[in-house]
Amino acid sequence: MIAGDRNPWPALGRVFLALSYVFLFLPLVLLVVFSFQANRFPGLPLQGWTLAWYEKMIDQGTLLPALGHSMLVSPAAATVGTIIGFFAAYALNRFDFPGKTVLLGIIALPILIPPLILGVAFLGLLARVHLNGTLFSIFLTHVVLVTAPALSVIQLRLSQMPRQIEEAAWDLGATELQTLMRVVLPFAVPGILGGWLLAFTFSFDEFIIAWFVSGFDQTLPVAIYSILVASMEPTLNAIGAIVFAISALVLIGIEVLLLPLLFRKDTEEA
Amino acid sequence: MTAAAAGDAAIGAPARARRMRTPNDSPLKILCLAPIVIWYAIFFGLPLVFLLWIGFWRVENYQSIPDVSLQNYQEIFQNWVVKSRYGLAMLQSFWVASTTAAIATVLSFLIALALVFAVPARRQRLALLFVIAPFWSSYVLRLYSWQTILSKNGVLNSMLKAVGLDDWRLEIIYTQIATRVGLVHFLTPVLVVILYVTVINIDRTLIEAARELGASRWQAFTRVILPLSRFGLITAASFALIMGLGDALSGALLGGGAGASVLGKYPLYSAMLMTDYASSTNLPRTSALATILVVAMVAMMALGVWVAERARRRVSE
Repeated sequence: MIAGDRNPWPALGRVFLALSYVFLFLPLVLLVVFSFQANRFPGLPLQGWTLAWYEKMIDQGTLLPALGHSMLVSPAAATVGTIIGFFAAYALNRFDFPGKTVLLGIIALPILIPPLILGVAFLGLLARVHLNGTLFSIFLTHVVLVTAPALSVIQLRLSQMPRQIEEAAWDLGATELQTLMRVVLPFAVPGILGGWLLAFTFSFDEFIIAWFVSGFDQTLPVAIYSILVASMEPTLNAIGAIVFAISALVLIGIEVLLLPLLFRKDTEEA
Repeated sequence: MTAAAAGDAAIGAPARARRMRTPNDSPLKILCLAPIVIWYAIFFGLPLVFLLWIGFWRVENYQSIPDVSLQNYQEIFQNWVVKSRYGLAMLQSFWVASTTAAIATVLSFLIALALVFAVPARRQRLALLFVIAPFWSSYVLRLYSWQTILSKNGVLNSMLKAVGLDDWRLEIIYTQIATRVGLVHFLTPVLVVILYVTVINIDRTLIEAARELGASRWQAFTRVILPLSRFGLITAASFALIMGLGDALSGALLGGGAGASVLGKYPLYSAMLMTDYASSTNLPRTSALATILVVAMVAMMALGVWVAERARRRVSE
Protein backbone atom coordinates (compact mmCIF):
# COMPACT_ATOMS: atom_id res chain seq x y z
CA MET A 1 0.00 0.00 0.00
CA ILE A 2 2.46 2.63 1.16
CA ALA A 3 5.75 2.62 -0.72
CA GLY A 4 8.87 1.53 1.08
CA ASP A 5 6.86 0.05 3.91
CA ARG A 6 7.37 -3.71 4.05
CA ASN A 7 4.26 -5.45 5.28
CA PRO A 8 4.84 -8.84 6.92
CA TRP A 9 1.14 -9.58 7.48
CA PRO A 10 0.14 -11.11 4.12
CA ALA A 11 2.98 -13.62 4.39
CA LEU A 12 2.05 -14.45 7.98
CA GLY A 13 -1.57 -14.72 6.92
CA ARG A 14 -0.71 -17.27 4.26
CA VAL A 15 1.32 -19.34 6.72
CA PHE A 16 -1.60 -19.25 9.17
CA LEU A 17 -4.00 -20.22 6.41
CA ALA A 18 -1.79 -23.17 5.46
CA LEU A 19 -1.80 -24.36 9.09
CA SER A 20 -5.57 -23.98 9.21
CA TYR A 21 -5.91 -26.16 6.12
CA VAL A 22 -3.78 -28.80 7.84
CA PHE A 23 -6.10 -28.70 10.86
CA LEU A 24 -9.22 -28.85 8.70
CA PHE A 25 -8.08 -31.65 6.40
CA LEU A 26 -6.02 -33.78 8.78
CA PRO A 27 -8.89 -36.03 9.94
CA LEU A 28 -10.25 -36.43 6.42
CA VAL A 29 -6.91 -37.33 4.84
CA LEU A 30 -5.87 -39.68 7.64
CA LEU A 31 -9.18 -41.51 7.52
CA VAL A 32 -8.78 -42.25 3.83
CA VAL A 33 -5.09 -43.16 4.14
CA PHE A 34 -5.68 -45.61 6.98
CA SER A 35 -8.58 -47.22 5.13
CA PHE A 36 -5.88 -48.62 2.84
CA GLN A 37 -3.37 -49.43 5.59
CA ALA A 38 -2.91 -52.76 7.32
CA ASN A 39 -2.67 -51.15 10.79
CA ARG A 40 -5.24 -52.42 13.27
CA PHE A 41 -5.06 -49.06 15.07
CA PRO A 42 -4.22 -45.99 13.00
CA GLY A 43 -0.70 -44.78 13.84
CA LEU A 44 2.93 -45.02 12.88
CA PRO A 45 4.70 -47.02 11.59
CA LEU A 46 2.61 -47.73 8.51
CA GLN A 47 2.26 -51.43 7.89
CA GLY A 48 1.64 -51.57 4.16
CA TRP A 49 -1.24 -51.15 1.76
CA THR A 50 -4.28 -53.41 1.81
CA LEU A 51 -7.91 -53.62 0.78
CA ALA A 52 -8.71 -55.92 3.71
CA TRP A 53 -10.90 -53.34 5.50
CA TYR A 54 -13.08 -52.92 2.43
CA GLU A 55 -13.60 -56.68 2.18
CA LYS A 56 -14.34 -56.83 5.88
CA MET A 57 -16.80 -53.98 5.59
CA ILE A 58 -18.67 -55.80 2.81
CA ASP A 59 -18.82 -58.95 4.96
CA GLN A 60 -19.61 -57.06 8.14
CA GLY A 61 -23.27 -56.68 7.29
CA THR A 62 -24.63 -53.51 8.94
CA LEU A 63 -22.72 -50.66 7.32
CA LEU A 64 -23.67 -51.27 3.70
CA PRO A 65 -27.40 -51.77 4.43
CA ALA A 66 -27.23 -48.59 6.50
CA LEU A 67 -25.66 -46.77 3.56
CA GLY A 68 -28.53 -48.12 1.46
CA HIS A 69 -31.05 -46.77 3.98
CA SER A 70 -29.38 -43.38 3.91
CA MET A 71 -29.38 -43.34 0.13
CA LEU A 72 -33.12 -43.96 0.29
CA VAL A 73 -34.07 -41.51 3.02
CA SER A 74 -31.84 -38.56 2.13
CA PRO A 75 -32.73 -38.18 -1.58
CA ALA A 76 -36.41 -38.58 -0.71
CA ALA A 77 -36.27 -36.01 2.09
CA ALA A 78 -34.21 -33.65 -0.06
CA THR A 79 -36.67 -33.95 -2.95
CA VAL A 80 -39.79 -33.28 -0.88
CA GLY A 81 -38.01 -30.53 1.06
CA THR A 82 -36.90 -28.89 -2.17
CA ILE A 83 -40.38 -29.01 -3.69
CA ILE A 84 -41.94 -27.48 -0.57
CA GLY A 85 -39.08 -25.01 -0.44
CA PHE A 86 -39.47 -23.96 -4.07
CA PHE A 87 -43.14 -23.06 -3.76
CA ALA A 88 -42.58 -21.28 -0.47
CA ALA A 89 -39.59 -19.40 -1.90
CA TYR A 90 -41.69 -18.31 -4.87
CA ALA A 91 -44.46 -17.03 -2.61
CA LEU A 92 -42.03 -15.29 -0.27
CA ASN A 93 -40.23 -13.71 -3.19
CA ARG A 94 -43.33 -12.43 -4.96
CA PHE A 95 -45.98 -11.68 -2.38
CA ASP A 96 -46.38 -9.38 0.57
CA PHE A 97 -48.64 -10.35 3.40
CA PRO A 98 -49.04 -9.61 7.10
CA GLY A 99 -46.79 -11.72 9.32
CA LYS A 100 -44.24 -12.37 6.60
CA THR A 101 -41.27 -11.66 8.88
CA VAL A 102 -42.69 -13.92 11.55
CA LEU A 103 -43.17 -16.70 9.01
CA LEU A 104 -39.57 -16.27 7.80
CA GLY A 105 -38.37 -16.59 11.38
CA ILE A 106 -40.41 -19.74 11.98
CA ILE A 107 -39.14 -21.30 8.75
CA ALA A 108 -35.53 -20.81 9.92
CA LEU A 109 -36.22 -22.24 13.40
CA PRO A 110 -35.52 -25.95 12.71
CA ILE A 111 -31.95 -24.98 11.82
CA LEU A 112 -31.48 -22.93 14.98
CA ILE A 113 -33.05 -25.34 17.47
CA PRO A 114 -30.47 -27.99 18.40
CA PRO A 115 -31.27 -31.27 16.63
CA LEU A 116 -31.00 -32.99 20.02
CA ILE A 117 -34.16 -31.22 21.17
CA LEU A 118 -35.92 -31.83 17.86
CA GLY A 119 -35.01 -35.50 18.14
CA VAL A 120 -36.70 -35.85 21.53
CA ALA A 121 -39.68 -33.85 20.28
CA PHE A 122 -40.12 -35.91 17.11
CA LEU A 123 -39.87 -39.11 19.10
CA GLY A 124 -42.62 -37.90 21.43
CA LEU A 125 -45.01 -37.30 18.54
CA LEU A 126 -44.07 -40.34 16.46
CA ALA A 127 -44.22 -42.75 19.38
CA ARG A 128 -47.72 -41.47 20.06
CA VAL A 129 -48.87 -42.43 16.56
CA HIS A 130 -46.70 -45.58 16.50
CA LEU A 131 -44.59 -44.41 13.59
CA ASN A 132 -41.29 -44.43 15.45
CA GLY A 133 -38.58 -46.89 14.53
CA THR A 134 -39.10 -46.80 10.79
CA LEU A 135 -37.18 -45.28 7.91
CA PHE A 136 -40.38 -43.47 6.98
CA SER A 137 -40.34 -41.59 10.28
CA ILE A 138 -36.77 -40.45 9.65
CA PHE A 139 -37.87 -39.22 6.24
CA LEU A 140 -40.79 -37.25 7.74
CA THR A 141 -38.59 -35.48 10.25
CA HIS A 142 -35.70 -34.86 7.87
CA VAL A 143 -38.00 -33.00 5.50
CA VAL A 144 -38.54 -30.40 8.24
CA LEU A 145 -34.80 -30.12 8.74
CA VAL A 146 -33.83 -29.71 5.07
CA THR A 147 -36.64 -27.45 3.82
CA ALA A 148 -35.16 -24.22 5.20
CA PRO A 149 -31.67 -24.64 3.66
CA ALA A 150 -33.17 -25.63 0.28
CA LEU A 151 -35.59 -22.73 0.45
CA SER A 152 -32.87 -20.18 1.20
CA VAL A 153 -30.79 -21.23 -1.81
CA ILE A 154 -33.81 -21.17 -4.14
CA GLN A 155 -34.83 -17.78 -2.78
CA LEU A 156 -31.33 -16.49 -3.50
CA ARG A 157 -31.78 -17.54 -7.11
CA LEU A 158 -35.32 -16.17 -7.42
CA SER A 159 -34.25 -12.81 -6.02
CA GLN A 160 -32.02 -12.48 -9.10
CA MET A 161 -34.99 -12.92 -11.43
CA PRO A 162 -36.16 -9.66 -13.04
CA ARG A 163 -39.86 -9.06 -12.32
CA GLN A 164 -40.47 -8.16 -15.96
CA ILE A 165 -39.96 -11.76 -17.10
CA GLU A 166 -43.03 -12.87 -15.21
CA GLU A 167 -45.07 -9.81 -16.21
CA ALA A 168 -44.16 -10.38 -19.85
CA ALA A 169 -45.44 -13.95 -19.65
CA TRP A 170 -48.73 -12.75 -18.10
CA ASP A 171 -49.16 -10.07 -20.75
CA LEU A 172 -48.61 -12.64 -23.47
CA GLY A 173 -51.53 -14.59 -22.10
CA ALA A 174 -49.97 -17.24 -19.89
CA THR A 175 -51.88 -18.09 -16.75
CA GLU A 176 -50.12 -17.62 -13.44
CA LEU A 177 -49.63 -21.34 -13.04
CA GLN A 178 -48.20 -21.65 -16.55
CA THR A 179 -45.86 -18.77 -15.82
CA LEU A 180 -44.75 -20.43 -12.61
CA MET A 181 -44.06 -23.78 -14.23
CA ARG A 182 -42.67 -22.65 -17.60
CA VAL A 183 -40.90 -19.39 -16.80
CA VAL A 184 -40.05 -19.23 -13.10
CA LEU A 185 -39.21 -22.91 -12.65
CA PRO A 186 -36.65 -23.08 -15.50
CA PHE A 187 -35.04 -19.89 -14.23
CA ALA A 188 -34.78 -21.36 -10.73
CA VAL A 189 -33.21 -24.66 -11.84
CA PRO A 190 -29.65 -23.88 -10.67
CA GLY A 191 -31.05 -22.81 -7.30
CA ILE A 192 -33.23 -25.89 -7.10
CA LEU A 193 -30.32 -28.23 -7.83
CA GLY A 194 -28.05 -26.37 -5.40
CA GLY A 195 -30.79 -26.41 -2.78
CA TRP A 196 -31.35 -30.11 -3.30
CA LEU A 197 -27.67 -30.87 -2.80
CA LEU A 198 -27.59 -28.78 0.36
CA ALA A 199 -30.72 -30.53 1.61
CA PHE A 200 -29.27 -33.93 0.76
CA THR A 201 -26.12 -33.16 2.73
CA PHE A 202 -28.08 -31.99 5.77
CA SER A 203 -30.08 -35.19 5.79
CA PHE A 204 -27.25 -37.55 4.85
CA ASP A 205 -25.09 -36.29 7.72
CA GLU A 206 -27.86 -35.94 10.30
CA PHE A 207 -27.25 -38.13 13.30
CA ILE A 208 -29.12 -37.32 16.43
CA ILE A 209 -32.70 -37.05 15.16
CA ALA A 210 -32.21 -40.31 13.27
CA TRP A 211 -30.75 -41.84 16.45
CA PHE A 212 -33.85 -40.99 18.48
CA VAL A 213 -36.39 -41.83 15.81
CA SER A 214 -34.87 -44.89 14.14
CA GLY A 215 -35.24 -48.44 15.36
CA PHE A 216 -33.50 -51.34 13.71
CA ASP A 217 -33.44 -49.63 10.33
CA GLN A 218 -30.52 -47.34 10.99
CA THR A 219 -29.18 -44.64 8.72
CA LEU A 220 -25.45 -44.58 8.12
CA PRO A 221 -24.40 -42.05 10.80
CA VAL A 222 -26.40 -44.01 13.40
CA ALA A 223 -24.86 -47.33 12.32
CA ILE A 224 -21.37 -45.80 12.46
CA TYR A 225 -22.08 -44.43 15.92
CA SER A 226 -23.27 -47.79 17.25
CA ILE A 227 -20.08 -49.46 16.02
CA LEU A 228 -18.01 -46.60 17.36
CA VAL A 229 -19.28 -46.76 20.93
CA ALA A 230 -18.50 -50.49 20.99
CA SER A 231 -14.94 -50.40 19.65
CA MET A 232 -12.54 -48.80 17.23
CA GLU A 233 -13.02 -50.60 13.96
CA PRO A 234 -10.83 -50.01 10.90
CA THR A 235 -13.80 -50.98 8.71
CA LEU A 236 -15.09 -47.53 9.66
CA ASN A 237 -12.21 -46.08 7.67
CA ALA A 238 -13.37 -48.01 4.63
CA ILE A 239 -16.98 -46.85 4.86
CA GLY A 240 -15.64 -43.40 5.71
CA ALA A 241 -13.63 -43.24 2.51
CA ILE A 242 -16.74 -44.18 0.53
CA VAL A 243 -18.85 -41.57 2.31
CA PHE A 244 -16.21 -38.91 1.70
CA ALA A 245 -16.26 -39.82 -1.98
CA ILE A 246 -20.03 -39.21 -2.02
CA SER A 247 -19.52 -35.92 -0.18
CA ALA A 248 -16.84 -34.89 -2.66
CA LEU A 249 -19.28 -35.44 -5.52
CA VAL A 250 -21.86 -33.30 -3.72
CA LEU A 251 -19.21 -30.67 -3.10
CA ILE A 252 -18.30 -30.51 -6.79
CA GLY A 253 -22.00 -30.11 -7.54
CA ILE A 254 -22.18 -27.29 -5.02
CA GLU A 255 -19.12 -25.61 -6.49
CA VAL A 256 -20.70 -25.69 -9.94
CA LEU A 257 -24.21 -24.68 -8.87
CA LEU A 258 -24.22 -22.95 -5.53
CA LEU A 259 -21.13 -20.77 -5.32
CA PRO A 260 -21.86 -18.86 -8.55
CA LEU A 261 -25.14 -17.89 -6.89
CA LEU A 262 -23.43 -16.74 -3.73
CA PHE A 263 -20.75 -14.77 -5.53
CA ARG A 264 -23.21 -13.65 -8.16
CA LYS A 265 -20.73 -12.20 -10.64
CA ASP A 266 -21.49 -14.47 -13.56
CA THR A 267 -25.25 -14.75 -13.13
CA GLU A 268 -26.33 -11.61 -14.96
CA GLU A 269 -27.95 -13.53 -17.76
CA ALA A 270 -30.81 -12.22 -19.87
CA MET B 1 -64.78 -14.11 -8.32
CA THR B 2 -66.40 -16.23 -11.03
CA ALA B 3 -69.30 -13.83 -11.28
CA ALA B 4 -66.90 -10.94 -11.80
CA ALA B 5 -65.02 -12.94 -14.39
CA ALA B 6 -68.21 -13.64 -16.25
CA GLY B 7 -69.04 -9.96 -16.18
CA ASP B 8 -65.68 -9.02 -17.57
CA ALA B 9 -65.98 -11.58 -20.32
CA ALA B 10 -69.42 -10.23 -21.21
CA ILE B 11 -68.12 -6.75 -21.92
CA GLY B 12 -65.38 -8.27 -24.06
CA ALA B 13 -62.43 -7.63 -21.77
CA PRO B 14 -59.37 -9.76 -22.57
CA ALA B 15 -58.99 -13.00 -20.68
CA ARG B 16 -56.50 -11.60 -18.20
CA ALA B 17 -59.05 -9.32 -16.63
CA ARG B 18 -60.41 -12.29 -14.72
CA ARG B 19 -57.01 -12.80 -13.19
CA MET B 20 -55.31 -10.82 -10.47
CA ARG B 21 -55.94 -7.17 -9.93
CA THR B 22 -52.38 -6.64 -8.69
CA PRO B 23 -49.42 -9.05 -8.74
CA ASN B 24 -49.86 -9.37 -4.99
CA ASP B 25 -53.40 -10.62 -5.28
CA SER B 26 -53.45 -14.22 -6.42
CA PRO B 27 -54.65 -17.64 -5.29
CA LEU B 28 -51.05 -18.80 -5.73
CA LYS B 29 -50.15 -16.92 -2.56
CA ILE B 30 -52.05 -19.41 -0.45
CA LEU B 31 -51.39 -22.45 -2.64
CA CYS B 32 -47.62 -21.97 -2.60
CA LEU B 33 -47.41 -21.34 1.12
CA ALA B 34 -49.78 -24.13 2.09
CA PRO B 35 -47.32 -27.05 1.80
CA ILE B 36 -44.69 -25.50 4.06
CA VAL B 37 -47.22 -24.26 6.60
CA ILE B 38 -48.96 -27.63 6.80
CA TRP B 39 -45.73 -29.66 6.99
CA TYR B 40 -44.28 -27.36 9.64
CA ALA B 41 -47.49 -27.42 11.66
CA ILE B 42 -47.65 -31.22 11.75
CA PHE B 43 -43.99 -32.16 11.88
CA PHE B 44 -42.49 -29.18 13.67
CA GLY B 45 -45.09 -27.33 15.72
CA LEU B 46 -46.85 -30.42 16.95
CA PRO B 47 -43.66 -32.21 18.10
CA LEU B 48 -42.63 -29.15 20.09
CA VAL B 49 -46.03 -29.08 21.77
CA PHE B 50 -45.63 -32.77 22.52
CA LEU B 51 -42.17 -32.14 23.97
CA LEU B 52 -43.60 -29.67 26.46
CA TRP B 53 -46.59 -31.85 27.25
CA ILE B 54 -44.82 -35.20 27.63
CA GLY B 55 -42.53 -33.55 30.19
CA PHE B 56 -45.54 -33.62 32.51
CA TRP B 57 -46.40 -37.28 31.94
CA ARG B 58 -45.93 -40.01 34.52
CA VAL B 59 -44.11 -43.28 34.14
CA GLU B 60 -45.59 -46.35 35.79
CA ASN B 61 -44.33 -49.89 35.18
CA TYR B 62 -42.21 -48.66 32.28
CA GLN B 63 -45.31 -47.19 30.64
CA SER B 64 -45.71 -43.50 29.88
CA ILE B 65 -49.08 -42.26 31.05
CA PRO B 66 -50.53 -38.92 29.94
CA ASP B 67 -50.93 -36.74 33.01
CA VAL B 68 -50.22 -33.30 34.35
CA SER B 69 -47.69 -34.14 37.00
CA LEU B 70 -44.53 -32.37 38.11
CA GLN B 71 -42.93 -35.71 38.97
CA ASN B 72 -40.22 -35.50 36.28
CA TYR B 73 -39.24 -31.97 37.12
CA GLN B 74 -39.15 -32.76 40.84
CA GLU B 75 -36.96 -35.76 40.18
CA ILE B 76 -34.60 -33.75 38.00
CA PHE B 77 -34.23 -30.87 40.43
CA GLN B 78 -33.80 -33.23 43.39
CA ASN B 79 -30.88 -34.73 41.46
CA TRP B 80 -29.63 -31.33 40.36
CA VAL B 81 -26.32 -31.56 42.24
CA VAL B 82 -26.43 -35.08 43.69
CA LYS B 83 -26.57 -38.55 42.08
CA SER B 84 -27.33 -37.84 38.41
CA ARG B 85 -26.05 -34.27 38.90
CA TYR B 86 -27.96 -32.70 36.02
CA GLY B 87 -27.08 -29.20 37.17
CA LEU B 88 -23.36 -29.87 37.13
CA ALA B 89 -23.69 -31.27 33.62
CA MET B 90 -25.49 -28.06 32.66
CA LEU B 91 -22.64 -26.03 34.13
CA GLN B 92 -20.09 -28.13 32.28
CA SER B 93 -22.05 -27.61 29.05
CA PHE B 94 -22.07 -23.84 29.41
CA TRP B 95 -18.38 -23.78 30.28
CA VAL B 96 -17.29 -25.99 27.39
CA ALA B 97 -19.68 -24.39 24.88
CA SER B 98 -18.70 -20.82 25.73
CA THR B 99 -14.94 -21.48 25.65
CA THR B 100 -15.38 -23.44 22.41
CA ALA B 101 -17.40 -20.59 20.90
CA ALA B 102 -14.67 -18.11 21.84
CA ILE B 103 -11.86 -20.25 20.40
CA ALA B 104 -13.76 -21.11 17.21
CA THR B 105 -14.79 -17.50 16.63
CA VAL B 106 -11.24 -16.15 17.03
CA LEU B 107 -9.79 -18.89 14.83
CA SER B 108 -12.43 -18.38 12.14
CA PHE B 109 -12.01 -14.60 12.25
CA LEU B 110 -8.27 -14.98 11.69
CA ILE B 111 -8.91 -17.36 8.78
CA ALA B 112 -11.44 -14.93 7.29
CA LEU B 113 -8.98 -12.04 7.64
CA ALA B 114 -6.21 -14.11 6.04
CA LEU B 115 -8.54 -15.06 3.17
CA VAL B 116 -9.55 -11.48 2.48
CA PHE B 117 -6.23 -9.72 2.97
CA ALA B 118 -3.58 -12.33 2.17
CA VAL B 119 -5.11 -14.20 -0.77
CA PRO B 120 -5.33 -12.57 -4.22
CA ALA B 121 -8.96 -11.78 -5.12
CA ARG B 122 -9.17 -14.22 -8.01
CA ARG B 123 -8.04 -17.13 -5.82
CA GLN B 124 -10.28 -16.31 -2.85
CA ARG B 125 -13.22 -18.34 -4.07
CA LEU B 126 -11.18 -21.51 -4.32
CA ALA B 127 -9.46 -20.81 -0.98
CA LEU B 128 -12.84 -20.33 0.70
CA LEU B 129 -14.18 -23.48 -0.93
CA PHE B 130 -11.38 -25.49 0.65
CA VAL B 131 -12.19 -24.09 4.08
CA ILE B 132 -15.86 -25.06 3.66
CA ALA B 133 -15.09 -28.49 2.20
CA PRO B 134 -14.82 -30.38 5.54
CA PHE B 135 -18.34 -29.22 6.41
CA TRP B 136 -19.74 -31.52 3.74
CA SER B 137 -18.11 -34.61 5.17
CA SER B 138 -19.83 -36.73 7.77
CA TYR B 139 -19.53 -35.32 11.29
CA VAL B 140 -19.59 -38.72 13.00
CA LEU B 141 -16.76 -39.90 10.78
CA ARG B 142 -14.70 -36.80 11.44
CA LEU B 143 -15.07 -37.40 15.16
CA TYR B 144 -14.03 -41.01 14.68
CA SER B 145 -10.97 -39.81 12.80
CA TRP B 146 -10.13 -37.34 15.59
CA GLN B 147 -10.44 -40.25 18.01
CA THR B 148 -7.78 -42.18 16.10
CA ILE B 149 -5.61 -39.04 15.94
CA LEU B 150 -5.85 -38.05 19.59
CA SER B 151 -6.05 -41.43 21.32
CA LYS B 152 -3.28 -42.66 23.62
CA ASN B 153 -1.44 -44.66 20.97
CA GLY B 154 -3.00 -42.77 18.11
CA VAL B 155 -1.57 -41.00 15.12
CA LEU B 156 -0.22 -37.93 16.95
CA ASN B 157 1.36 -39.82 19.81
CA SER B 158 2.89 -42.46 17.56
CA MET B 159 4.34 -39.66 15.43
CA LEU B 160 5.83 -38.01 18.49
CA LYS B 161 7.27 -41.36 19.49
CA ALA B 162 8.75 -41.91 16.03
CA VAL B 163 10.70 -38.65 16.25
CA GLY B 164 11.76 -39.34 19.84
CA LEU B 165 9.55 -36.84 21.63
CA ASP B 166 7.97 -39.36 24.01
CA ASP B 167 7.81 -36.79 26.79
CA TRP B 168 5.45 -34.62 24.79
CA ARG B 169 2.73 -37.24 24.62
CA LEU B 170 -0.75 -35.76 24.41
CA GLU B 171 -3.17 -37.08 27.00
CA ILE B 172 -6.28 -35.22 25.94
CA ILE B 173 -8.56 -37.96 24.61
CA TYR B 174 -11.68 -38.38 26.79
CA THR B 175 -11.27 -34.94 28.28
CA GLN B 176 -13.29 -31.86 27.43
CA ILE B 177 -10.25 -30.54 25.54
CA ALA B 178 -10.81 -33.28 22.96
CA THR B 179 -14.52 -32.38 22.96
CA ARG B 180 -13.53 -28.83 22.05
CA VAL B 181 -11.22 -30.00 19.26
CA GLY B 182 -14.08 -31.90 17.63
CA LEU B 183 -16.49 -28.99 18.06
CA VAL B 184 -14.07 -26.38 16.74
CA HIS B 185 -13.39 -28.55 13.71
CA PHE B 186 -17.14 -28.83 13.13
CA LEU B 187 -17.84 -25.11 13.62
CA THR B 188 -14.93 -23.50 11.79
CA PRO B 189 -16.20 -23.89 8.19
CA VAL B 190 -19.58 -22.36 9.06
CA LEU B 191 -18.12 -19.51 11.11
CA VAL B 192 -15.56 -18.70 8.40
CA VAL B 193 -18.38 -18.24 5.87
CA ILE B 194 -20.21 -15.84 8.21
CA LEU B 195 -17.03 -13.89 9.00
CA TYR B 196 -15.67 -13.92 5.43
CA VAL B 197 -18.88 -12.30 4.21
CA THR B 198 -18.53 -9.76 7.02
CA VAL B 199 -14.90 -8.85 6.33
CA ILE B 200 -15.17 -8.83 2.52
CA ASN B 201 -18.01 -6.31 2.75
CA ILE B 202 -15.93 -3.81 4.74
CA ASP B 203 -15.31 -0.80 2.52
CA ARG B 204 -11.59 -0.94 1.65
CA THR B 205 -11.46 2.84 1.21
CA LEU B 206 -12.15 3.23 4.94
CA ILE B 207 -9.06 1.19 5.76
CA GLU B 208 -6.98 3.06 3.21
CA ALA B 209 -8.25 6.38 4.54
CA ALA B 210 -7.25 5.42 8.07
CA ARG B 211 -3.79 4.45 6.85
CA GLU B 212 -3.41 7.67 4.81
CA LEU B 213 -4.32 9.66 7.88
CA GLY B 214 -1.49 8.04 9.79
CA ALA B 215 -3.03 5.09 11.58
CA SER B 216 -0.73 2.15 12.10
CA ARG B 217 -1.80 -1.24 10.78
CA TRP B 218 -2.79 -2.27 14.30
CA GLN B 219 -4.85 0.90 14.77
CA ALA B 220 -6.53 0.38 11.41
CA PHE B 221 -7.43 -3.10 12.60
CA THR B 222 -8.71 -2.21 16.06
CA ARG B 223 -10.45 1.02 15.07
CA VAL B 224 -11.85 0.20 11.63
CA ILE B 225 -11.94 -3.52 10.85
CA LEU B 226 -12.87 -4.79 14.29
CA PRO B 227 -15.79 -2.42 14.95
CA LEU B 228 -17.16 -3.04 11.46
CA SER B 229 -16.96 -6.80 12.03
CA ARG B 230 -18.76 -6.62 15.36
CA PHE B 231 -22.12 -7.78 14.05
CA GLY B 232 -20.60 -10.74 12.21
CA LEU B 233 -18.57 -11.70 15.26
CA ILE B 234 -21.62 -11.65 17.52
CA THR B 235 -23.60 -13.71 15.01
CA ALA B 236 -20.81 -16.24 14.67
CA ALA B 237 -20.25 -16.54 18.41
CA SER B 238 -23.96 -16.98 19.20
CA PHE B 239 -24.28 -19.62 16.50
CA ALA B 240 -21.25 -21.45 17.89
CA LEU B 241 -22.64 -21.24 21.42
CA ILE B 242 -26.02 -22.70 20.41
CA MET B 243 -24.37 -25.48 18.43
CA GLY B 244 -21.98 -26.23 21.27
CA LEU B 245 -24.79 -26.46 23.81
CA GLY B 246 -26.86 -28.70 21.57
CA ASP B 247 -24.16 -31.05 20.35
CA ALA B 248 -24.00 -34.44 22.03
CA LEU B 249 -21.64 -36.27 19.69
CA SER B 250 -18.30 -34.65 20.35
CA GLY B 251 -18.84 -34.86 24.08
CA ALA B 252 -19.76 -38.55 23.81
CA LEU B 253 -17.07 -39.70 21.37
CA LEU B 254 -14.10 -37.43 22.09
CA GLY B 255 -15.03 -36.38 25.62
CA GLY B 256 -15.75 -40.00 26.46
CA GLY B 257 -19.03 -39.17 28.20
CA ALA B 258 -17.82 -37.69 31.46
CA GLY B 259 -14.66 -35.95 30.27
CA ALA B 260 -12.61 -33.88 32.70
CA SER B 261 -12.37 -30.12 32.50
CA VAL B 262 -11.18 -27.54 35.03
CA LEU B 263 -14.64 -27.93 36.59
CA GLY B 264 -14.20 -31.66 37.09
CA LYS B 265 -15.27 -34.91 35.47
CA TYR B 266 -18.83 -34.14 34.44
CA PRO B 267 -20.55 -34.98 31.15
CA LEU B 268 -22.04 -32.35 28.90
CA TYR B 269 -25.76 -31.86 29.47
CA SER B 270 -26.57 -32.89 25.90
CA ALA B 271 -24.42 -36.04 26.03
CA MET B 272 -25.95 -36.88 29.40
CA LEU B 273 -29.46 -36.43 27.99
CA MET B 274 -28.63 -38.93 25.26
CA THR B 275 -27.20 -41.56 27.60
CA ASP B 276 -30.03 -40.93 30.03
CA TYR B 277 -32.54 -41.82 27.33
CA ALA B 278 -30.47 -44.74 26.00
CA SER B 279 -30.28 -46.34 29.44
CA SER B 280 -33.79 -45.62 30.71
CA THR B 281 -35.94 -44.98 27.59
CA ASN B 282 -37.88 -42.78 29.98
CA LEU B 283 -39.30 -40.40 27.41
CA PRO B 284 -41.20 -38.16 29.86
CA ARG B 285 -38.02 -37.47 31.86
CA THR B 286 -36.00 -36.99 28.66
CA SER B 287 -38.63 -34.52 27.42
CA ALA B 288 -38.43 -32.63 30.71
CA LEU B 289 -34.63 -32.53 30.47
CA ALA B 290 -34.83 -31.25 26.88
CA THR B 291 -37.36 -28.60 27.91
CA ILE B 292 -35.00 -27.42 30.63
CA LEU B 293 -32.21 -27.13 28.04
CA VAL B 294 -34.45 -25.03 25.78
CA VAL B 295 -35.38 -22.75 28.67
CA ALA B 296 -31.73 -22.37 29.70
CA MET B 297 -30.70 -21.53 26.15
CA VAL B 298 -33.49 -19.01 25.65
CA ALA B 299 -32.62 -17.41 29.00
CA MET B 300 -28.97 -17.20 27.98
CA MET B 301 -29.78 -15.62 24.61
CA ALA B 302 -32.12 -13.12 26.30
CA LEU B 303 -29.36 -12.25 28.75
CA GLY B 304 -26.93 -11.82 25.86
CA VAL B 305 -29.29 -9.49 24.01
CA TRP B 306 -29.92 -7.52 27.22
CA VAL B 307 -26.18 -7.11 27.89
CA ALA B 308 -25.47 -6.14 24.28
CA GLU B 309 -28.33 -3.63 24.36
CA ARG B 310 -27.06 -2.07 27.58
CA ALA B 311 -23.52 -1.86 26.21
CA ARG B 312 -24.81 -0.20 23.06
CA ARG B 313 -26.85 2.33 25.00
CA ARG B 314 -23.89 3.20 27.20
CA VAL B 315 -21.73 3.77 24.12
CA SER B 316 -24.29 5.99 22.42
CA GLU B 317 -24.86 8.14 25.50
